[in-house]
Amino acid sequence: MRKDVLVIDDELAIRRLLASALDRAGIAHAEAATAGDALRLAAAAPAPLVALLDLGLPDRDGLEIVPQLAALGLSVIILTARDATQEKVAALDLGADDFVTKPFDSEELLARIRSALRRKAGPLANVHRREFAGGSIDRDTHDVVMRGEQVDLTPREFNLLWALADHPGRVMTHESLLEAVWGPAHRQDLDYLRVAVRSLRRKLELVPSAPRLLINEPGVGYRLAEAD
Amino acid sequence: MSDPRPANDAERFLRLAQREARGRLTVYLGAAPGVGKTYRMLQEAARRKAEGADVLVGIAETHGRSETAQLLEPFEVLPRTAVEYHGHALDEFDIDTALERRPGLILVDELAHTNAPGSRHPKRWQDVAELLVSGIDVATTLNIQHIESLNDIVAGFTHIRVRETVPDSILDSAEIIVVDLPPEALIERLQAGKIYLPDTAGQALANFFTLAKLAALRELALRFAAGSVDRRLLDQLATSGTEGGFAVGERLLVAVSPGKGGAQVIRHAKRLADLAHAPWTAVVVESSGARAVAGSQREQVAENLALASSLGAALMTVAATDVAEALVDQARELRASQIVIGKSRRSRWFEWRHGSIAQDVIRKARGFTVQVVPLDEADGKAARPRDRNPYRAPALALLLVFATTGLLDLARPVLPTDAVDMLLLLPVIFAASRIGTAAGLWAALWAALAYNFFYTAPLHTLFISSPGDVITFAVLTLVAAVLGTFAGQVRRQAETSAGVARLNASLARFAGLLGSVSDRDSTARVACREIGALLDVEAIIVAKEDGALIVRGHDRLSKLDLVDEAAAFWTLDRGEAAGRDTGTLNASDWQFHPLQTAIGMMGALGVARGEQGRVIRADDATLLATLIDQTALAHERLLLEEEARQIDAFRERDRLRGALLSSIAHDLRTPLTAVIAAAESIPAQGNYADEVRIARSEARRLERFLGDLLEASRIEHGAIEPRFESLDPTDVVMAVLRDLRQDHTGGRVDTRIAHDCPLIEADPVLLRHALINLVDNALKFSAEATQVEVTLEPVAGGVEFIVRDRGQGLPADPTALFERFARLEGSDRTGGSGLGLWIAKNFTEAMGGTIRGRNREGGGAEFFVTLPLVPMRREPVSVGNA
Repeated sequence: MRKDVLVIDDELAIRRLLASALDRAGIAHAEAATAGDALRLAAAAPAPLVALLDLGLPDRDGLEIVPQLAALGLSVIILTARDATQEKVAALDLGADDFVTKPFDSEELLARIRSALRRKAGPLANVHRREFAGGSIDRDTHDVVMRGEQVDLTPREFNLLWALADHPGRVMTHESLLEAVWGPAHRQDLDYLRVAVRSLRRKLELVPSAPRLLINEPGVGYRLAEAD
Repeated sequence: MSDPRPANDAERFLRLAQREARGRLTVYLGAAPGVGKTYRMLQEAARRKAEGADVLVGIAETHGRSETAQLLEPFEVLPRTAVEYHGHALDEFDIDTALERRPGLILVDELAHTNAPGSRHPKRWQDVAELLVSGIDVATTLNIQHIESLNDIVAGFTHIRVRETVPDSILDSAEIIVVDLPPEALIERLQAGKIYLPDTAGQALANFFTLAKLAALRELALRFAAGSVDRRLLDQLATSGTEGGFAVGERLLVAVSPGKGGAQVIRHAKRLADLAHAPWTAVVVESSGARAVAGSQREQVAENLALASSLGAALMTVAATDVAEALVDQARELRASQIVIGKSRRSRWFEWRHGSIAQDVIRKARGFTVQVVPLDEADGKAARPRDRNPYRAPALALLLVFATTGLLDLARPVLPTDAVDMLLLLPVIFAASRIGTAAGLWAALWAALAYNFFYTAPLHTLFISSPGDVITFAVLTLVAAVLGTFAGQVRRQAETSAGVARLNASLARFAGLLGSVSDRDSTARVACREIGALLDVEAIIVAKEDGALIVRGHDRLSKLDLVDEAAAFWTLDRGEAAGRDTGTLNASDWQFHPLQTAIGMMGALGVARGEQGRVIRADDATLLATLIDQTALAHERLLLEEEARQIDAFRERDRLRGALLSSIAHDLRTPLTAVIAAAESIPAQGNYADEVRIARSEARRLERFLGDLLEASRIEHGAIEPRFESLDPTDVVMAVLRDLRQDHTGGRVDTRIAHDCPLIEADPVLLRHALINLVDNALKFSAEATQVEVTLEPVAGGVEFIVRDRGQGLPADPTALFERFARLEGSDRTGGSGLGLWIAKNFTEAMGGTIRGRNREGGGAEFFVTLPLVPMRREPVSVGNA
């Protein structure tokens, strides 16, 4: 039977907790206490879809196996401390999909896992259209619809929205967004991104000063809220 | 050198300034004993006492005179202290009690008195100087013949040399009151038996009391007093900026020679300097010849220098081969206008042979006035060293020339005659370079005669027949003489430089040895051993530890006698030399020198020598100073190393504590994460809904405590380094709300975010943490039914986050609000680590922002976090404003 989620944590208590939460949610899972075990299980057939990875492992630094897990086709969600922004950015850069901060809320964790599983389940049916919370974007027609209404975006805003919508629910780091929209030369020009996000929020958000769609993870990046 | 005038004025001003804090000295000066100085002093003191002054009589000699004793009655008299000396108890002035008693004015009779051996100071004037330094006014009496610079003059016409002298410097700032009595009246008093004379000196002193001598002494006293008034007037003129009519910038240079005559020259120079109101410098020239000067003469030089110093001269020692040249150079460098030099009354023959330094100076000193002081012949001879045996040099030279001639005679068959004159130069060079210049010159003479006797026709006579031989003879004589002189000079220089090289080698060795030890005991041992060997003394190093004296560096000695200890403490406390051969506590066997460096007093070096005479020879003084410096530096290095080690140990402890804290916090966090996750996954419903909620919120609080502790330790270690990035303050507020929603408190927070908030440069992590702490606090200190309000708005030059609550408000004393572990009143009820606001403050300030709190209108508290658009420490960059 396919194990959808691979739980990688050296703490037995945490593994148990995650296991029972996943059991209740009806998600099949396997457990690994070390990086070695994790890589072995990740390479088993059928391979798990999502890896829930605690970075503090006894045998190796969790960050080291992020690229290997990603290369094996797993969607990696890391468990990390709230203020460890650099660790988050590093993991995302290495191929992780998402992060959940400890101490975690199991409901929020399950939501993230479901989202990752959804992305894994079916390759997106449509290559040029993406949906997000309350709206959609079409790369061919350049149509952006929000709450049923057409929205006019500048090319820059359009590219930014597409870069986010192409990875629904995932955190895109500041640098990856800057590179995708402005080019590699502008990876550090955070101001560009802040200004573009503001104007995008003014056009898309219900209350631009209390954004619910374009969500910022301070010090890390942006996430576009998924369609329910 | 710069113009000495400003320095002079500065010195003068400094002297005056020092005088302000010092006690004032009044000297009742008389021409002779019996003029009524003590009487007059007591009269004046009575007047002062009537005016309300606190007068103490330290010493008053009544010499059995009833009028004087009567005058003493109204005064408080300090009991004398007994000083034990050779089984006798001598009564002396009790300086310690006097200093303790601190009167406004103290009377100390007979300034020139010599204290009993074993007293703190050898001389009473030194006691008086100490009283003055500690701010006590002193009145004293003095006879004119006891003044150092007048000593010679008085001795000159009275034929009595007074041994007890007082240096002029102590009288410089004194008020001089002349107690005058016409000589006739004085003689009357003497004849009436009214004048007390000690038995032993009776006859000698009686010689004073002739009309002519008393008149001369009286004139001297009056002149001295007038000069003193004059000098003080000039001091005042100079400080008030008015120039007096004297030649400014005048300076005297006096050449100090070994021998007793040196003192005479120095006293003369002092008088000249006083007349010209000029500063003066005593110069000793250490010539390579002078290194051979006998030990007793070296001590004479040291004593002469000490005399010059006590008379107010600046001291200077220069090394040179040519004494006269060096003196003139020094005079030029110091811009002296006069050179004072002694000249012995010697025969022309003596001068022709030895030359005269005074003559040389006069020849070379263009642009200077040269004052030549005639000296007694006995002293003059000492001015230049002479061989112990005057026949040694010619005899040795003769022997050498004889030997050479003999060898030449043996070699005659193979030697060309021409070579003989050259080969006869060999003994000359040998004698000059091995024995000395004199021997060289003698050898030159002998060689010339030998040549004449053995090799020129007619042979074996001292006649020369061939004109060619005459020339050869003359050339040989000349060359031999020149060679002899040169070779002698070379030898002297070689000796000097060998001495310098030896000295440098021993200094280098000393430094090397000191550098290789790493604790105080071995440093002291090495230093004392080396100093002992270099200076032929015993050496110890003393230091004060916890108020007690510690002796180091000596194998047998670990404790000092009382008087030695007193001298050591004196040096340690005041940083001045004390003990043997010094002006303080010289009854001690040890001479102590401070080991002082820029960072403080490292201890004191004590030196002693079993034999009589000075502990440190005059020409070893420089070496001693260098050794002291190096020893002090070695101790300083040890001290600094020790401090560094302590700091390292402290840092290491601190680091370990930090590491321990963070490791504990980490270890606690992991299980706590499980607890929280477990608590979150239990549905808060049914019978145990409250328990579940309590478990959740308490677990979250515990988690926050841990976080606070970790942040606090980071702050304490100065490990807060903000990572500034451009951020939208709106995003930070939203992130705070998301974090708080996890804590199930989100429902109580309202936000009011301005639409037009600019972007700022800040650290998102620190800012979020600071805001969470504030909101958390607000939630904690207000009732559950009330709302907490988070406002974000632009202000001039930045943005402001405001967190408002409807809680109990701030404590009465809000100054401690942002202190560590400062809790608001009643916070025990709601719980808290006491670190939240402190962390918020530290984080805000690390980003260049400010934080403040105040009571809110209508109840509750409000906290303001204001952040600049761009942190102050950076250059403003253009921010792409929305």
